[in-house]
Amino acid sequence: MRHLSLLVLAITAAVSMAQSQDSTVAVGYAQAGALTISGAVETIGENQMNKKQVTNPLEAIDGRVAGLTIEKGNNGVAAMNAVRVRGTTSLTGGNDPLIIVDGVMGDLNTLSSVYPADIANFTILKDASETAQYGSRGASGVIEVTTKTGSSGRTSVSYNGSFGISSVYKNLNMLSADGYRKYLSDNGLMLIDKGFSTNWQRKIEQNGFQHDHHVAFMGGGKDNGYRVSLGFMDHNGVILHDNLRNFTSNMNMHQYMFSRLLRIDIGMFGNIQKERTAVYDVQKTFYSAATFNPTFPAERNAQGGWDGFAYANQINNPMALMDSRTATKTTHISTHAKLTFDISPNWKLSMFGAYSHNEVEGNQFLPTSIWAHGQGQRGSKKSESLLGNLVLNFDRNFGKHHIGALALAEAQRDTYTGFYTTTTNFTVNRLGYDNIQAGALTLWEGTGSYRETPTLAAFMGRVTYDYDNRYSLTATARADGSSKFGKNHKWGFFPSISGAWIISNEAFMRNALIVSNLKLRAGYGLAGNSGGIDSYMSMNLLAPNGIAPVGDEAVVTLGSPRNTNPNLKWEVKRTFNAGIDLALLKDRIIASVDFYTSKTTDMLYTYNVPVPPFPYNTLLANLGSMRNNGVEVALGVTPVVNKDMELNINANITFQQNKLLSLDGFYNDYYIMAPTYKDIASLNGAGFHGGFNHIVYQIVGQPLGVFYLPHCTGLKSDGSGGYTYEIADIDDDGDIDLSNGGDRRICGQAIPKVLLGSNISFRFRQWDLSVQINGAFGHKIYNGTALTYMNLNSLPGYNVLAKAPAQNIKDQTATDYWLERGDYVNFDYVTLGWNVPLSEKVRKYVKSLRISATVKNLATITGYSGLTPMINSTNVNSTLGIDDKNTYPVARTYSLGISIHF
Amino acid sequence: MKQIAYLLAIILALSSCEKFLEENPTDRQSVADSYNNITDLYLNAVAARYHDVGGKTNSCGLQGTGRGIYDLNTFTTDEAIMPTRGADWYDGGLWQHLFLHDWNGLDPIGDTWNYLFKAIIGCNDGLEHISLYASLHPGEDVSAFDAEVRALRAMFYFYAMDLYGRAPIFSSSEPKLEELGLCSRSEVTRFIVSELQDAVPLLANDMSNLPGEYYGRMTQSVANFLLAKVALNSEIYFDDDWTDASRPNGKEIRWNVDGKDMNAWEATITFCNRIKDRGYTLENEFAANFLIHNEYSKENIFTIPMDKNLFDNQFIYLFRSRHYNHASALGLNGENGASATVEALRAFGLKESLDDFSDTDPRFFASYYFGQVYDLSGNPVLLDDGTELIYEPWAVALDVSNTKYEKTAGARMKKYEVDPNGTKDGCQSDNDIVLFRYADVLLMECEATVRNGGNGDDIMAQVRDRAGAPAIPATLQNILDERLRELAWEGWRRNDLIRFDRFTASYTDRPALPHEQETHYTIVFPIPGEVIWLKDGQKQNPGY
Repeated sequence: MRHLSLLVLAITAAVSMAQSQDSTVAVGYAQAGALTISGAVETIGENQMNKKQVTNPLEAIDGRVAGLTIEKGNNGVAAMNAVRVRGTTSLTGGNDPLIIVDGVMGDLNTLSSVYPADIANFTILKDASETAQYGSRGASGVIEVTTKTGSSGRTSVSYNGSFGISSVYKNLNMLSADGYRKYLSDNGLMLIDKGFSTNWQRKIEQNGFQHDHHVAFMGGGKDNGYRVSLGFMDHNGVILHDNLRNFTSNMNMHQYMFSRLLRIDIGMFGNIQKERTAVYDVQKTFYSAATFNPTFPAERNAQGGWDGFAYANQINNPMALMDSRTATKTTHISTHAKLTFDISPNWKLSMFGAYSHNEVEGNQFLPTSIWAHGQGQRGSKKSESLLGNLVLNFDRNFGKHHIGALALAEAQRDTYTGFYTTTTNFTVNRLGYDNIQAGALTLWEGTGSYRETPTLAAFMGRVTYDYDNRYSLTATARADGSSKFGKNHKWGFFPSISGAWIISNEAFMRNALIVSNLKLRAGYGLAGNSGGIDSYMSMNLLAPNGIAPVGDEAVVTLGSPRNTNPNLKWEVKRTFNAGIDLALLKDRIIASVDFYTSKTTDMLYTYNVPVPPFPYNTLLANLGSMRNNGVEVALGVTPVVNKDMELNINANITFQQNKLLSLDGFYNDYYIMAPTYKDIASLNGAGFHGGFNHIVYQIVGQPLGVFYLPHCTGLKSDGSGGYTYEIADIDDDGDIDLSNGGDRRICGQAIPKVLLGSNISFRFRQWDLSVQINGAFGHKIYNGTALTYMNLNSLPGYNVLAKAPAQNIKDQTATDYWLERGDYVNFDYVTLGWNVPLSEKVRKYVKSLRISATVKNLATITGYSGLTPMINSTNVNSTLGIDDKNTYPVARTYSLGISIHF
Repeated sequence: MKQIAYLLAIILALSSCEKFLEENPTDRQSVADSYNNITDLYLNAVAARYHDVGGKTNSCGLQGTGRGIYDLNTFTTDEAIMPTRGADWYDGGLWQHLFLHDWNGLDPIGDTWNYLFKAIIGCNDGLEHISLYASLHPGEDVSAFDAEVRALRAMFYFYAMDLYGRAPIFSSSEPKLEELGLCSRSEVTRFIVSELQDAVPLLANDMSNLPGEYYGRMTQSVANFLLAKVALNSEIYFDDDWTDASRPNGKEIRWNVDGKDMNAWEATITFCNRIKDRGYTLENEFAANFLIHNEYSKENIFTIPMDKNLFDNQFIYLFRSRHYNHASALGLNGENGASATVEALRAFGLKESLDDFSDTDPRFFASYYFGQVYDLSGNPVLLDDGTELIYEPWAVALDVSNTKYEKTAGARMKKYEVDPNGTKDGCQSDNDIVLFRYADVLLMECEATVRNGGNGDDIMAQVRDRAGAPAIPATLQNILDERLRELAWEGWRRNDLIRFDRFTASYTDRPALPHEQETHYTIVFPIPGEVIWLKDGQKQNPGY
C-alpha cells in the first residue's frame, strides 16, 4: 500500500480546515455543527470560488476541491466532459454526481440554469456516511448548490460584467501547401493542385468575443427577504459559428409568519440557453481541417458550393462543413417552496415541494455538400419532475450531550417524453432545418418518440449524538424504492455510520496553543446507484422493430429490442472514509487528509453474454465488482497577512486508484464470464475501421481503462525507402499476432493516478492577484492523431504533419509507438484585480467597485507531443485516453471584468 | 402550495407505495397484447422474422451489408479482394487478415454468429407464440405460419452450419443450459434437412420474388433450393471430422426424398427438378436479374425486397466498390474498395494486354467495371486532376499503397444496374438483392449429375448459351470456373471452393497458412468463446 505510506507522510506534513466553532452547515437534509461533522464534506463559499470568467458554475470550483475532477473537455463553448467525485465507481452510468440546487434534484445540465454569481456556496458530499442521505442517488457523490437570498435590512443592487476574447494559440503543424506539392511531385504521387495555399485550420477559426452581464437586487425587512437576479451570457467560440447564449433568472424570497412560527421560502430559477455550432461531428471537423488538400481555395466555386476532393472520402472540405448547422435550445424552469414550522425549540417540521420542467429542442441541418442528399433533423426532449418531501427534525442539548434526529419521507415522479424527425433527399439547402419538408420524408428511420415515467420513493432516519464538543456519532438509514427495478428488487436499504473525535477540545490539548483545531473522522456507509438504467429494462416489452413486406405493403412489426432482465436491482457502493483535520498557528496553516476505500458490488453493467441463450449479445445485469481507493490532501498556508498584504497558498492533491475486481457471475443458470480483454476505445478514420484498432481495454484485475497494445521496438525499413513499425513477438512463438491474447501487453492506464489543484492569491492594498494551477499525473495518452498524420501512405488524399516526410513512416498499425505520458500542469487562469478606492462622497451611491483582468488557459507544461494533454482522461467511453483527430485547437481567453455594488 | 399538499398526500399514501412504484409503459406494448388475433400473430411472429433476412447494420443480414455472411464468403476467397489503398481500406488489417485466412480475433466472425442466433431465437419466439395461439384458438389453422418460421429457422441454421460447422440445436426462445451443447456438423445438417422437408408441403407454392402476398417470403421453391444446396454439399456437411484427410463419398450418403432412398447427388437433382417444375427459367438476358426493377425476373427465386421509399434494408456492395469519382459522376457516393482478384480475371478469360476480348466471357462485361467508365449520360468519368478514370484490373494486389494505381487498381463490381435515385449514398436502391436464382439451380444439377457419373454438358450449355458463351465440357474444373463466372458477387465462392477442395489452396497474394492445406481447419470459422465456455469441456473447432 503505497498510498498508506503517502497517507502517513501527508499526516505528518499536514494541518486543518478552519471552521468557525459555532457555525452550522447544511449537509444534505440535515443541519450539522461544522465542528462535529464526521463525514467528508467540503463547503466552498464565494471567496474560495475561482475568479475567472466562467460559463458553467462548476468552473467556479474547478481545482478547488480534492477528489473532485471537472473535465471541461475541449469541445465547444459550454460542454462539460465529465464531473467525478472520487473517480469512476460504476460502469453503466450514474457516475456524475447528484446535483441539488436549492433542494431541487437535477443533473449536470441543471447547473446551466444558474448564473455563477448567484451562487452563495457549494457543498460537496464525498463519502458514503453523508451521501447515504441521498440513498440510491448518492453513490457518485453529491454537489449541493445554494443560491443567494436576501437578508434583513440590506438593500442593494449589484452589477457584474465581463468582456473577453478567445483566441487560438496552438494548431497542428501540418505540411504547408508548398511542402505538400513538393512531396507529391518528388514522389510521383498524383497531385491535384488548385494553386492556393490554404491553412484550413486557421480558416475555420475565429476570435471569439464574449460578454456576460448580471444584475441582482436584494433586500428585506425584519421578517422577510428577497433577491432577484437576471443574467445574460453571450460567448462566441473559436470555431466559426460557435455561439452560446444563456439567459438566466433566479428569485428567492422568504417570509416569517405567526411570530416566526412558520418560515416560508419560495424560489424559482430558470434559463433559456441557445447553442449554435457548425461542428456537428468533432472528429470529422478537425480531421478535415488538418488534412484537407492545402492547395484548394477556401472560397466557394462558381456553382456556389465547395470543391470536394474525391480521394479523401472520410473528410470534407472544411468550409463545406461550416455550412452545417446544429442548434440546441434548452429551456429550464424550477420552482420550489418550503414551509418550516418551528413547533417547539426542539422540534422542527418542514415540507418541501419542487417542480422542474426542462426542454431541449434540437435542430440540425447537414447540406448536400457534406451529406449525401442532405439531412434535416428536428427533435425535442422534455422532462418534468415533481418532488416532495417531509422532514421532521429534533435537536436538543442535555448538559454536555447533544442529540439531533431527523426523519424523512420523499417521493418523486419524473416524466420524460420526446420525439424526433429526420428527413433526407434535400434538393435545396437554403431552407435548412426551418422547413424539413424540403427533404422527402424518410418513413421508417426518420421518426420516433417515447415516454417514460419513473418514480422514486424514500424513507430516511438520521441520528446524531455529540458529547461535550469532543465526540460525535452520526447514523443514517435510508430505504429507496425505484420503479425501474424488477418486482422483487424495487427497494434498496442504505445505512451509514460515522464518528468524529475533536482532539483539540480535549483537556490535554488546551495548552498546545499552536494547534487551533485537530479532529479525526471516520465513517462507513452504503450508497446505491441506478444511474444509466432506463425505465422498463426489467420488463419484456415489444417496440416497433422494422418494416416487413406483407402482401403488397410495407408494414411495421413489433419485436423485443433487447435482452430483458427481470432481476435488475440496485448497484451498491460501500465506502470507508477516515480523515484528519488540523489547524495550526491560529489557522495560518490548515490541512486535511482523507483516506477512502470503496467497493462497488452488484455492479450494473452491460455484460457481454453468449448468443444463444440470449438473443442479443449484451445484457444489463448486476454481476461484477470494482474497488476505488484514494487519498486526498488539502493544504492551506497563509505566510503573510497584515493590513496591506496577504498571501494565501492553497493546494489539494488527490491520489486515486481503481481496480476492476470482477465482471463474472451467475445470471439464472448461466455463469456469465466477461471476455478477458474487452475493448472500450478504438481508433477511427480512413483505414481504421475495425481490425486491430482497439486501444483502451477493460481488463479484470486492472484499473478501468488500460492500454493494451502491441509493442513497437522501433522503426524498420520497408525495403523501398519508407519505414514501418517493428512489432515485438512478445510471446516468442515466431508469429506476430495482433489479436487479443496474442502479441499485446498492458502498458499504462488512461485515468490519472494523481490530480493537483492549487491556487495562489496575493493581495497588496487594493490590488490582488490570483493564479490557479491544476495538473494530472501518472496516466498515458494514445496519440492516434500522430499515428494517422505521420503515415505518408495517407497522401495524397489526406495531408500529413510537417515533420512526417523526415521520419518517412508508411504504416498505420496501432502499436505502443504513439503511447505517450499524459502528465501535465496547466495554468488555468491568472487574474489581476483592483478594488477601486472610493471617496466618501461616491460611497454614498456606490458601495464598491472592482475591476479585474483575467487570462484563461494561460499555458500548459507537458511532455505530451500532441495539441494538448487535456483530453478525455476521465469518462469511461469510446474516447477515453485517445487523442484521435478530434481535439479542438488550444485557445486562450482574455477578459476584463467589472463589479459594482450600489 | 397545492402541489405541496398533493405531494404530501402522495407521501402519506406511500404505505401503499408498491403501486406508486409500478411501471405502466405507454410507448411499448406488452407481449400479452401483441399476438391476440391472427393478423397480429402473423405480423409479430412471422413477418418480423424477415427483418433478419435483409439488414442495414454491419454483420446483420444475409446480404447487402458488410462484415457479415457475404464478406466471410467472399473476401476470404479467390473471387474478390479488398486491396489496401494507402490510408484507405487498411482498417486495422481486417481485410488482409480475412483474405489470408488469418482471421482469429476479428470482430465480424463473432458478430455474424450473434446475428444468426439472434435470428434463430427470434424464430423460436415466433414458434412459441404460434403454438400458444393454436392452443387458445383450436378452430384456426396456423400450420402454414409454423412451417414458414421453421423453414426460416432452418435457413439461418444452414448459414450457421456452413460458416461454423457446429451449432447448438434448441427450440426455446429462452433455452436452458443443457440445450446449448454444440451438436456435430452432421447432426445440425440432419436437423436442417428434416425441418425443411417437413415444412415444404405446408409452404406456399408461389414465387417469392414477385410482389404480392409472398414477396420476399419463404416458399416451397426457396426451401427446395436450400435442400438442393445441402444435398450438393453433403460430403462436407456430413463430415464431422473435417481436419482428417478424408471425407464421405456423396454416392454413399443416403437421402430420403418423397419416401425414396437415394444418394446425395440424386437428391440434389430431385430438389432442383422440383424448382424447375414450378416454372422457373433462365431470363433471356443475364443482366435482367439485376435491374433496378428486377422483381419480375423469371429466374430469381429468393430476393431481399428493396425499395428506397418503403424498406430500410441496405445494399452497400456497389457503393463500397466503385471509385469516388465514378460514384460522384453517378450522383452517388463510393468507397473505392472491392475488386476482382487475379484468379477471377483469369477465370473470365481476360487478357493481360486488355487489347483482345475475343476469349473473354461476356459476363465479365456485365459483372465488372474496368478500363474507362462513363457517367449516366455516357461521358467518361474524370479524376480530380482532369484525367480519365481508368480501372486497372491486373494491377490488383493485397496492398497497392504507394503504387501508381493505388486508387484505380482492380476491376470493380457492376452486375446490379445503378439506381441513380438511390438514397443513403446509393446504398438504398430499388434493385432487389438476389439471394437464390435459377442459374445456380442448373449449375447445381449439372454438378450433381457429373459427380454422380453422368454427363452435364447440356445443362451447362444452357447457362453458357444464355450468357452468349460457347459450350464447353462439364468437367468439375469447368463447373467450378463456370460458377465463378455466373455467380460472381453473389456470395457463393467460399461454399464452392470448399466443396471442390480448393479453399485452402495457395493463390495470388495468399500463401496457405501453416497446416492449413493438410488439415483444412479453415473451412469453418471459430465459434465465439462465450458459447464454447457455456459448457465445461466443450472444445473450439479444431485448429483454432
